[in-house]
Amino acid sequence: MSSRTLLSLCRPAIHSSRRFMATEATQLSSSSTFEPVRSSVQPRKGKKPILNTAIILNRSPLITRTPTTFERAYYAYQARLRRALSNPFPYEFYFKQGSILETRFEMEEQKRERRAFGPTFGKPKEDDDKEKAAANRAAALQLAEQEGEFEEMMPRSHSSDEAKDYKSLDRRGKRNLYLLLKDANDFWRFPQGGIQKGELLHQAAQRDMYDECGKHMDAWIVSRNPIGHYRPPVTLSPEGTPLPEQVTFFFKAHILQGQCRPSENMKDFAWLTKQEIESYVDKHYWDGIKDVLSDN
Amino acid sequence: MTVGRAASVVRFGRPPAIRKPLRVDPRTRLPHPPVKIVTRDFAPCRLEDHYYSTLQDDLMYLTYKHELGPRPPPRQIRLTYDPNNPYSKYRYNPPVGGSQLGRKPPPPCTAENVIQLEMVQLHIMHKKAITSRSHLLGPIMALRALSGETEKGGGQHALEGVQIIKSKKQVGGWIRKGIPVGAKVNLKGHAMYDFIGTLVDFVMPRIREFQGIELPPPSANTETPAAVSGVVSFGLPPSAMGFFPSNRSQPGRVSRNVWYAYTFRDQRNRCRCAG
Repeated sequence: MSSRTLLSLCRPAIHSSRRFMATEATQLSSSSTFEPVRSSVQPRKGKKPILNTAIILNRSPLITRTPTTFERAYYAYQARLRRALSNPFPYEFYFKQGSILETRFEMEEQKRERRAFGPTFGKPKEDDDKEKAAANRAAALQLAEQEGEFEEMMPRSHSSDEAKDYKSLDRRGKRNLYLLLKDANDFWRFPQGGIQKGELLHQAAQRDMYDECGKHMDAWIVSRNPIGHYRPPVTLSPEGTPLPEQVTFFFKAHILQGQCRPSENMKDFAWLTKQEIESYVDKHYWDGIKDVLSDN
Repeated sequence: MTVGRAASVVRFGRPPAIRKPLRVDPRTRLPHPPVKIVTRDFAPCRLEDHYYSTLQDDLMYLTYKHELGPRPPPRQIRLTYDPNNPYSKYRYNPPVGGSQLGRKPPPPCTAENVIQLEMVQLHIMHKKAITSRSHLLGPIMALRALSGETEKGGGQHALEGVQIIKSKKQVGGWIRKGIPVGAKVNLKGHAMYDFIGTLVDFVMPRIREFQGIELPPPSANTETPAAVSGVVSFGLPPSAMGFFPSNRSQPGRVSRNVWYAYTFRDQRNRCRCAG
């Protein structure tokens, strides 16, 4: 085998979008004779593939995932154990005697003890000066309010979740969202485009992203190397000869601010989770991209 | 089984009445629990979840180095001692000329091999402790408040808690060998992530004229074991100590006039910055 064909065989194997790179890498490094991983690759004489770059524009999760019931029970149990086994806390070293901070810490700690062990624990100390103790407690409550302790937290689901607004970037705060565009042929796909002469792959990816999604976004492409590739099924020209292959290389990018404003030839766009993407794209495309997208 | 109100998973009933008192350790006068208990994670960890949902993928893509075909076999260098000789069989036996740690290529990039935080070590050296060791109490309590680690805390036998550091060498006019001058604590797992979260959210934004964490320049030699160990060390000014929420309540304890040298070390496994 000539070195050129060796290289062309090697590149699709390494840039495979599969998550199990470990098995492939060890196979390659441990094998004494180099074997092609994909046996269906046949170098065509004179038909160079047309390269495209696509961007997997990702909005990272905004909030942490909800713990499962088992996790909540486990954490509550472990917290209670830890509290039962912990060393007594040296109050005197950390708080000045009679200060408001000391009173506040004592109040919070007694509440935590009662919640962990029952109403017989966490009883407030009997103070000689009841008025001063009450005044201290009131001051501590005021301090807590000033520091924002009793503020209401925002709900974990956004209004766009109920409204099912697929264009919103606030939807599904716990999941990774990806941008899909609907092109003129009614196909849903990632933003993609061709490569100009003398341009590197990652430069083409950035240019294509801003061309198709608009410049009103603050986006960051993660790396110079692609994260996966897709080879669509071979199509035949009207004469019956196979058309040159269109290989698409995917690049991951994060959207930090702004919103996508698709160009005129794009009909629609949507920010979708991995499971939602499956129902939007066609089967062959899905098989090519599903292992690149995150389940979290 | 009757269908009633679902029992809460986070609330507990009354603890059982003590019929027989627990066995007490004579030295510490603390009771022994009747079973061997090991406590583990007691809350979800925000930064750890962030690492697994966002950072890990990005780090894998950023640090990936493509390899064409299998690697050539490594150079066989003779070992320092004879491994068959029973006198030297179990000795540390590096190749002649050194451990080759920085000169070997890093392991191949895989999804299982992504760069990850292993441990954070906090270290405070207190100059005044050279004259009187009671000055060390402040740094020790500060580290205890920051980390929450105690020796064998929660039944974890490998935890060492806050350790006192003794000087190694004698430097005339300044320090003698073997005197306690500092304190350190190792953080792993959730404690480590929580600490880094606090550092990044509370402390670093408030440091005056913070220039960022200094990393070695691109021209630095990457063929040494230190360069590939994946350890990042940096120090913070003394004012940073007061910015931690756990130290907020004790502004007078950790003196702002004294210069503390802090070293925060993040150790990563198999760092791929070499080659």
